[in-house]
Amino acid sequence: MTRVCAPGATAQNGEQPLPNVAAALSGRKNVRILAIGAAPGRVGPRGGTYTEQIERMLQGALKVTRIEIVNRGVSGELAANAAVRMKNEVALEEPDLVLWQVGTNDALAYVPTAEFTATVRDQVAWLKGHKVDVVLVGLQFAPQMLRDAHYVEIREALRRVAVDEKVIVVRFFEAMQILNPPDDEPAVPPAEEFERTEAGYNCLSQYVARAITLGVFAKGIRAPAVKPAK
Amino acid sequence: MTREPNAVDFWRGFALITIFIDHIPGLFYASFTLANVSISDAADLFVFLAGWSLRLMAEGRGEPRPIRDVMLRLFGRALELYAAQVLITMLAIALLAVSATELDNPLLLQWHNAAAVFTDPVPTHIGLAVLSHQLGYFDILPLYVVLMLMAPLFAALDRAAPALLLPLSLGLYVIVLAFRLTLPTWPVAGTWFFNPLAWQAIFVLGFTLAKPASGLGAFARRNMGWLRLAGLPIVVAGAIVHIFDLWPDPTRVPNPKLFFIADKTFMTPMRLIQFLALVAVFSFAWPYIRRAAAAPWVSRPVSALIDLLAMLGRNSLYVFCVGSLLSLAAQVVRLYYRGSFAGDTAVVLFGILIMAVTAWLAESRQRGRPAPSSAQRLPAR
Repeated sequence: MTRVCAPGATAQNGEQPLPNVAAALSGRKNVRILAIGAAPGRVGPRGGTYTEQIERMLQGALKVTRIEIVNRGVSGELAANAAVRMKNEVALEEPDLVLWQVGTNDALAYVPTAEFTATVRDQVAWLKGHKVDVVLVGLQFAPQMLRDAHYVEIREALRRVAVDEKVIVVRFFEAMQILNPPDDEPAVPPAEEFERTEAGYNCLSQYVARAITLGVFAKGIRAPAVKPAK
Repeated sequence: MTREPNAVDFWRGFALITIFIDHIPGLFYASFTLANVSISDAADLFVFLAGWSLRLMAEGRGEPRPIRDVMLRLFGRALELYAAQVLITMLAIALLAVSATELDNPLLLQWHNAAAVFTDPVPTHIGLAVLSHQLGYFDILPLYVVLMLMAPLFAALDRAAPALLLPLSLGLYVIVLAFRLTLPTWPVAGTWFFNPLAWQAIFVLGFTLAKPASGLGAFARRNMGWLRLAGLPIVVAGAIVHIFDLWPDPTRVPNPKLFFIADKTFMTPMRLIQFLALVAVFSFAWPYIRRAAAAPWVSRPVSALIDLLAMLGRNSLYVFCVGSLLSLAAQVVRLYYRGSFAGDTAVVLFGILIMAVTAWLAESRQRGRPAPSSAQRLPAR
């Protein structure tokens, strides 16, 4: 992990096992990841996209022949609609892991927190029942949203679901909050804002890759027949 | 001079308002649209009616137009739709940028697939121009552009070998479902939300069913009573499945799975069949709606409703474009009044008012011009 992003890693929710990804690796199978949610453009200095960066990092960390991320994000989609569509995508793509960026659209659309919580909880249960691991990716960051009570509530709801269901949540907002401490400047100019977004997604890809790697080698699951990169 | 209200314009107006509401996620009224009680939704209706209108344009009411004229008009229409897509996309990006700046909320720059426009503008602008990058909820017109580019082929084939058109279209549809063929997005990796290779089937079905004298259109008209009888349980079953969340588990259906699941991107058979059933069942409604316009007590509101929806439908491209931008603006506005019932009501009423004004302004240009010939009256939209 780069030095710039490292402080934000403390906002993650620790190790949670990813037994289905581990099983796929044990069987020396390719690992297939389904990405659902918002999709940014290029995030790396060398032109890689968010999912391409995760692919590359996992390839290095897990030393498998192929990590394939299938991007099926639909922008602006609420969790409830994504949940319905995700079931079809799981049936069609047969992933070992779903990477679900969720919450931002629901928070901005003022979906009631209880409704959002129930949707995510049911979907996580459905994925577990179908032997698909899940990594939740939390809400996008903007300092202004610290003052938005509903945004805060949805963030907290997602954290609670992850704790209750024992799944990984990459807390994007909280990590960005650590990386972008409040200062005295009233507003960040748009150009810097884009840089921050790009840098944010760059760090996010590192947090996701790290969370998946830790999940594969977490306690309580049989270690796959591969060695993690040093 | 504008044409009198008819069923196609009326239902297209209905679809336009429904799409406007559906494109404001979280809106109170979005819980009451067709999409909440039906496997198919207003998008299916809109594309089906575009195919239907293509027939009216190609054939007119008297002599069929020369095929060369039809093809030129369709290419022109595709160009017009493309220009509209580029324009509304640029306006949407500007709207997001202005909102983010004025409301001091950079999150809006990342909304609806817009992030790549700002963070990676070089390839993304190429993607916008070639329609491989589409903003969220601004993805129906790209489908239309592709369908209109395919439409000359449909029209020519219909003239040369009418019996072949539908089998070829459905054949392509089956291949697309079997092999999951679709169009990719770029530079953000993904696929088109509306897969034109699959959605062409509903467009061609609209085109085919609009022909009253022969083929499937004649068969449907001869057997409409039976079709409604067969369609009713399908419509009811679709509503029950939707309302009570009784969808079959998509992981447990046989392969190729797209033939057995309800999927919007591929407009799968479950969706297509339910939509056709819906059309059969509701095809009886228009004459009754017209009759209600003459009935005491309800005459005035029903007439006003017919006039409004038909006017929106007659000017569907303008209304659709303005409606798309209004939906996005409404999402921004909702952020700040936090989605209350009163606010949602105001948003819907204001949106419909602006859409009506748009249609009225579009028609005001035509007033005073000589009346179009019957063949010119229903451009394919």
